[in-house]
Amino acid sequence: MRWGLLAAALVASPVAAGVVYSAAAATGLAGFDPRGFSTDRLSRVLGEPAVWESLAWTVRTASLATLLASALAVLVAMTFRRGRGVDRLARTLAVLPLPVPHLVAATTAVLLLAQSGLLSRLGFAAGWLAGPADMPPLVYDRGGLGLVLTLTWKELPFLALVATTLLATRGAALEETARGLGAGPWDTFRLVTWPLLWRGLLPSIVAVFAFAAGSYEAAAMLAPSDPLALPLLTLERYTDPDLARRGDAFVLVLVGLMLTGAAVGLHEWVRYRTTELPG
Amino acid sequence: MSLAKASCGRSSTPQPRDLARAPWDSLASGARGTTVTWRMWRGDPSINAYVDRWVSPRVLQRYGINLNAVEGQGPEIVNQLQVEKEAGAGGTADLVWINGETFHQLRQADLLYGPWSGRLPHAAWVDSASPIISRDFEQDPAGYESPWGTVQFALIYDSARTPAPPRSYAELREWILAHPGRFTHDQAFAGITFLKQLMYALGGGVERFQGGFHEELYRTSSNRVWRWLEEVRPSLWRRGGSYPPGVAELHRLFANGEVDFTMSNNQNEVVTKVAQGIFPATARALLLGDGTIANAHFLGIPANAPNPAGAMVVADFLLSPEAQLEKARSTVWGDGTVLAVDRLPGPWARRFAELARDPRALSRDSLARYARPEVAPEYHERLARDWRSRIRRGGS
Repeated sequence: MRWGLLAAALVASPVAAGVVYSAAAATGLAGFDPRGFSTDRLSRVLGEPAVWESLAWTVRTASLATLLASALAVLVAMTFRRGRGVDRLARTLAVLPLPVPHLVAATTAVLLLAQSGLLSRLGFAAGWLAGPADMPPLVYDRGGLGLVLTLTWKELPFLALVATTLLATRGAALEETARGLGAGPWDTFRLVTWPLLWRGLLPSIVAVFAFAAGSYEAAAMLAPSDPLALPLLTLERYTDPDLARRGDAFVLVLVGLMLTGAAVGLHEWVRYRTTELPG
Repeated sequence: MSLAKASCGRSSTPQPRDLARAPWDSLASGARGTTVTWRMWRGDPSINAYVDRWVSPRVLQRYGINLNAVEGQGPEIVNQLQVEKEAGAGGTADLVWINGETFHQLRQADLLYGPWSGRLPHAAWVDSASPIISRDFEQDPAGYESPWGTVQFALIYDSARTPAPPRSYAELREWILAHPGRFTHDQAFAGITFLKQLMYALGGGVERFQGGFHEELYRTSSNRVWRWLEEVRPSLWRRGGSYPPGVAELHRLFANGEVDFTMSNNQNEVVTKVAQGIFPATARALLLGDGTIANAHFLGIPANAPNPAGAMVVADFLLSPEAQLEKARSTVWGDGTVLAVDRLPGPWARRFAELARDPRALSRDSLARYARPEVAPEYHERLARDWRSRIRRGGS
């Protein structure tokens, strides 16, 4: 118990140090030009519409990617849960992208999806496109579709792995019991399989969202210049030519932290609300 | 001081105070057996090859110094040194590759060691009469950085795709309007340099911007830049709503035929990129008649460097005619020399003159004719910031 606590503290301490330093640098107590406590920087940065647009864009793309990946993961786990060869093959294919680094995934996405990418070239060869400009922009596009697709592809395997494991380890026995008690297929799904899946998946879904919202590499290679994704805006401020503005990055770090904190908080609330109900 | 702390573990390294007085030979022999960590931009394979495969082995063989080049450019260098200073920690870099705004910031925050560059034996051959070399964005290096190379901005186009390219900013404007979606610039250093030249062109020439930063002048001339950009915006790539993050991404768009121009802070980059097969063989460099910015890049030693003596020995070797000649070859890097070539001893002067010239490279004469100096770094900083808030935001 005591050692476990120590290990947990070791894991948490860099995060805690980062939060404390960011808070100090955001309020004029540390950083390039510490002038004593002041909330000027906080209110100036939080007063910028660009920051809120950046946050909204990041929330939207990260949510969309998380939602798509979760839906696909559930679909794969439900459809291919038996022991047939085709099921095993489908499950293997779904988790195949797991070891691919995000940077490689993003590079591949550029290669495939850019207006001069492989898809565009295929379209050109087939006579559907007359030139790069005819290809709908999926890289540096304002909607962030290329980024959403890449993050979905990259996060699907992790969620699919968790979902198939959930069904394989706990699902089968519980469903059998339900059927034994007279539940039909729909009731078994509604009362046993589905609650088991979403509750078991939720922590992983929150982790995927936090990662998607905070990841830098994929956004750097695929996201547009306006609105700027939150991680890109944070680094841009941290490397601003004007030294006085570099401290803005620490306010943005706190904004990003609030976002993931909110996601974790929401998860805790949902869990608290639903454990009271019969399941 | 953090400097003293950092040097504790290396008693053989002379202390900075002694360095200023020690004769060069004893300084160089004291640096034997040490390691020099060089924080530099590592984004170009040809530059990396020059440093890792040409410079490193020679420095080890001749001076017994292990040269370790690691990643880190302008803003990262400033942040790293600032964090080390704040933490009172020892330094991790002995040599840094810097210029312009980075030098300005490092000097402002008192993060550089010096003065030292005048001590280098090869400094005697530096072309100090050239305003491009003796000034760094109008700042006096004052011995806190040693010149390493010179470059000049150029646009890059494909002569097969664009047989009659525009030759001035006015012609470029017409070209962009006539070819919608085929031109853009990047958001980083090269792109902002492009905008700064546009500011010179629209604001009455570089001479008006010399002599420090003037708020009024900046405001009126930058407004002309924004108006120019707003006029061409609908005809820019992606209708001016998105811009490639850096010049590497712009190169990719150009190489893949998404746009018809890219740009570079180095007039010879087109030659090296063609040699690497990245650009088509018909790619050419282009100087706009309004003038293009030429600047020098420098080497500095951080105030908390663990091994300033070794850093000086390396910086001196990099200034040698041999190292400067190799670097100037367009097959190697194509970086301009900072030495006064005509003052070099006979054989060296001849070798520089004989440098095999690629037909794609721009002539020395036209480079010199169109070269414009850098102005105070504040112009660059403000253009970058205001472009982000006024032009980048609000595209369609």
